[in-house]
Amino acid sequence: MTDTSPPLFVRRRLRQGRDRLATVLVTAGGIGVILALLAIGVFLVVEVVPLFWATGATQVVSPETLWSPLAGGDDSVGHRWDPTASLVEGESPRVSLVPLAWGTLEAAAWALLIAVPLALGAASHSALFMSSRLRSHLKPTLELMEALPGVVIGFVAGLVLAPWVERHLADVLAMLLLLVPGLLLAGSLWSCLPPRLQQVMPLGWAGLWLLPWLLLMVVVAQALSPWLEAWAFDGDLRHWLEARLGLDIAVRNAMIVGMAMGFAVMPSVYALAEDALSGVPRSLAEGAQALGATRWQTLWRVVLPAASPGIFSAVMIGAGRAVGETMIVLMASGNAALMTWNPLDGLRSLAATIAIELPEAGPGGPHYRLLLLAALLLFVFTFLVNTLAELVRTRLRRRYRRLGGGA
Amino acid sequence: MSFAHDLRPSPAPAAVIDFSPEASSLAIRELSLAYGGKPALRNLTLRIPRHRVTAFIGPSGCGKSTLLRVLNRLHDLNDEVVREGEVLLEGQDIHAPGVAVSELRRRVGMVFQAPNPFPMSIHDNVAFGLRLQGGLSKRKRDDIIEWALRSAALWDEVKDRLRASAWSLSGGQQQRLVIARTLAVSPEVLLLDEPASALDPISTLKIEELICNLKSHLTLVLVTHNMQQAARVSDYTAFLQDGELVEYGPTDTLFTNPRLRRTENYITGRMA
Amino acid sequence: MSLESDSRMRVFRGEGPGAWLAAGSVAFSLLALLALLALLAIRGLGHFWPADVALVMLEDGRQLAGERVQEVPLPKETGRERLYRTGNRDLDGTRWDWVAVSAIAAVSKPRDMVVLERRRWGEAIGRLTALESETGERVEGEAAWAALEARLAELTSLRQALDTLRDEVILPRVRALEAGGDVGRELAIANARLRELQAAMEGGQLTLTTADGERLTVPLEQVVRARRPNAMSPLDKIIAWGEGVWRFLSEGPRAANTAGGVWPAIFGTVLMVMLMSILVTPFGVLAAIYLNEVAHQGRLTRLVRIAVRNLAGVPSIVYGVFGLGVFVYGIGGTLDEWFFDAALPSPTFGTGGLLWASLTLALLTLPVVIVATEEGLARIPDQQREGALALGATRLEMLTRVVLPMATPAMLTGVILAVARAAGEVAPLMLVGVAKLAPQVPVDGDFPFLHLDRKFMHLGYHVFDAALHGGDVQAAMPLVYATALLLVLVILVLNLTAIFLRHHLSTRHGVLGRR
Repeated sequence: MTDTSPPLFVRRRLRQGRDRLATVLVTAGGIGVILALLAIGVFLVVEVVPLFWATGATQVVSPETLWSPLAGGDDSVGHRWDPTASLVEGESPRVSLVPLAWGTLEAAAWALLIAVPLALGAASHSALFMSSRLRSHLKPTLELMEALPGVVIGFVAGLVLAPWVERHLADVLAMLLLLVPGLLLAGSLWSCLPPRLQQVMPLGWAGLWLLPWLLLMVVVAQALSPWLEAWAFDGDLRHWLEARLGLDIAVRNAMIVGMAMGFAVMPSVYALAEDALSGVPRSLAEGAQALGATRWQTLWRVVLPAASPGIFSAVMIGAGRAVGETMIVLMASGNAALMTWNPLDGLRSLAATIAIELPEAGPGGPHYRLLLLAALLLFVFTFLVNTLAELVRTRLRRRYRRLGGGA
Repeated sequence: MSFAHDLRPSPAPAAVIDFSPEASSLAIRELSLAYGGKPALRNLTLRIPRHRVTAFIGPSGCGKSTLLRVLNRLHDLNDEVVREGEVLLEGQDIHAPGVAVSELRRRVGMVFQAPNPFPMSIHDNVAFGLRLQGGLSKRKRDDIIEWALRSAALWDEVKDRLRASAWSLSGGQQQRLVIARTLAVSPEVLLLDEPASALDPISTLKIEELICNLKSHLTLVLVTHNMQQAARVSDYTAFLQDGELVEYGPTDTLFTNPRLRRTENYITGRMA
Repeated sequence: MSLESDSRMRVFRGEGPGAWLAAGSVAFSLLALLALLALLAIRGLGHFWPADVALVMLEDGRQLAGERVQEVPLPKETGRERLYRTGNRDLDGTRWDWVAVSAIAAVSKPRDMVVLERRRWGEAIGRLTALESETGERVEGEAAWAALEARLAELTSLRQALDTLRDEVILPRVRALEAGGDVGRELAIANARLRELQAAMEGGQLTLTTADGERLTVPLEQVVRARRPNAMSPLDKIIAWGEGVWRFLSEGPRAANTAGGVWPAIFGTVLMVMLMSILVTPFGVLAAIYLNEVAHQGRLTRLVRIAVRNLAGVPSIVYGVFGLGVFVYGIGGTLDEWFFDAALPSPTFGTGGLLWASLTLALLTLPVVIVATEEGLARIPDQQREGALALGATRLEMLTRVVLPMATPAMLTGVILAVARAAGEVAPLMLVGVAKLAPQVPVDGDFPFLHLDRKFMHLGYHVFDAALHGGDVQAAMPLVYATALLLVLVILVLNLTAIFLRHHLSTRHGVLGRR
């Protein structure tokens, strides 16, 4: 078959040609696809620029109006976002992005406040204590949780949870107060159990058998809440909050957004943190345990510090998700562009504002460009945060490899 | 080894055995190769005789595997490789522009250290190269597959389960399957990169027998770190160190009466 | 002293309090997830269960009949109140009634309570007193129920005949007529048949006596379904439940998305996701092959790889903005100027539509596919590539015959994850083409059959819209629950498939990794 009879020869040329063509196509296609993806940033910048430099009919918005508070006027003191009414002839534009950025960051902060402790607790439990069988089921379960669409979480938060919390404010407070002592109580009760029962309910499966215990805590909290209200809050928590602390209470508020988004963000933080924790070379943890440290001490003193960059990047990724999440904020926040420290008041985020207002804003107008500026802010923020997280993660992986190699 | 990194001229010409061009299948001339700036081969010149087994021996990292991969242009996959000098296959420069790499690789087959059968059936593994060439009837192809499997001494073991996954075979069988797969496209040269290092002694023995049988119609080049193996199967042996050809000659001579001190130290195990 | 420290040691023997808080966070997260899923499942599926109708007598002598919805504590007072769904919105102005539990004297469940589902005004609840047939005969009592059931079955088949006639005979003829065809005669015949059917459906009415004694007259053609839930056996109820689920899946929405089914939304979601995967798969795989197999593995490629990974974390709304600005206003506007000049100023492609939505979501999910495929490609040992090359394969042949078949499960995983993400994504769609109510499904018998410029309905947006923008949110809630449940189920199934595939993949490569 080494003969070079014409058909073989031709076929060989054909194969070579096809190979070269395919390489060119793959290269062109691959570069094209990647450029199309990267074009998003370019597009946003190009579209936002005319906002600040006059080009023909486009109205120019001076950069200061975007962040400096308004002075004077009737009720327009402070930062205002009111583009539809103010971007007309004869009005001074009230388009401060500050309240929107405030709302975005506030929502993200509440979400992280809830998601990070939960995720880190769950990650350290599953990396250190959990039985490997339960762990192999927990990971996909939490992945499913991550995949739950924002619109569904937003619906449940905004239309089910929010009205319920409004009616049962005291119950929620009681549950929060009971959560930590309840878990510690479970721990000390468990220690008192006879060893045989402890073997039936090992710590490795605590993630499951604590479920009924938590349900019991919910019931106890509901039973205790009238007492709590009567004892500490003059019989009505809501009234007490309004009268004593001067807090307005909106049905859909920052707390609700925080809870819902915390729920949505927790799985991604968990997944990355768990990767970081379980990636710490075993030799390190074993070394500490050989010196007599408990598993928890090992985690706290050895594993967590070693994995801290990974955990940092997990939190960063979570922050990126929380900042950009649209539907949950849109449905559970009330969308009032307020700037308060009150967690029970509404807020309005950049992403939700884009979703609400962009379909109505005509292309090319200042309102349109303002919203594109908001999108650019989101893009830049998440891109930077993710890049930071990725760089930290890459460095961490290199470190693990070194540690693992040295052991 | 202070001389390891300087660039003195290659070893004394006395170490190189010049075979007549007519009797040699591959000729390597003044070949140097650097990998990411680090030299891996330094100015090698040798001829590899046709229908014989030539073994490359030397300590790890001496460049023997690199040399083997150059012969089949596998280093093309790596952008960081810089090469000088030439390799002639039957008098033709394999790096000349216009040489089809795929055709070269068909003529110079290669078997790797770890068996790497494709995730398909035994039959399809052997048929893989034939299908690439095309232009064969199914009957003809099946004949060639049987011939290749017989040549690789595998036919009797797998003839009843040609449709079974190649991954269901044992390591030694997998390696023989890879050899059969290479034989099927009728190469002129077969490069073997430590083909038995991942195998048990019995499988190793079978592979070695196979190598001896194949040299009747093939030129074989064997890289091995096992000096007994080199002594058992090869006709000629080249000893490489730090990318340089130290000594090259008939296996018997090299092992019993090495010309250079370095060679003697290595084959008697006084290297480290 | 030493005893005290001993006992403290004992309380958290071994691990200390932190371990329990950590275990608690696992349990808490699982509890939250389970609660969410259970809520959706119970409320979503419970909606279709034919609930009993309670006849409630109040202390003040007033009576009402309705399905019990919920019971909550009274605000600011002790005691509880109940919400009944009483229907009869045309009589009372509302279909809900809150009653303090303490004001209830007696509750009974008479077997003859009838729940009517009507085309307008929602449900009617009461006792059937008389039925006047289309020929003017009047029946009363138990016979009226039998007559009603018979007449409703008749009406259903007439309605089907009407729909078939309209969709398969009249509409194509009308289009042919618009296109200048000579079908006037056939159309006239069909229209006559249509009028005949409509006439057959007219006439007849029933009289319902509500719980408080008012009379309600309902023309029979307004009645969609009639049920006597209190008289139904559990088996009947299960059948009715199954029918309810089926109608939910197969019918279009009614009453401003607060009633009816979600078929157009299912169709829109599936069609959009299919188009998206057709777009994203080849491009994503192409980019992954380029990055992993062709590109020079230098610093630039590493940077590009990080950038692509990061784009997966960019908020979906930003992709929506890009889609609106580039696809809709940019490309769509230009297309309109070039090809659909006649229709301007009303836009064809210059407004959100199926094509732009699919493209936007394809872009959004590209990083997912690229990353998953690249991981699959990177996991294939180089020996396999070298093995193929050593046999004389060109790079294309090596890719198509060895590498890609081995990477297929990874690619599939990526595409399925992309589909799952796209199916749940709503925010970008709000900018590039989803509609509250799309009268026309984007696929029909009209050339070119698939209308990429049309707006479409989407399950996720349906949830958003019905929950926040419906007139009577309380009435729409059960439907929203059901829709949300459906969406979650679709996404769960897709994700489970991906997880299964990945598992399969890792075990297969476990075999491969063996030396």
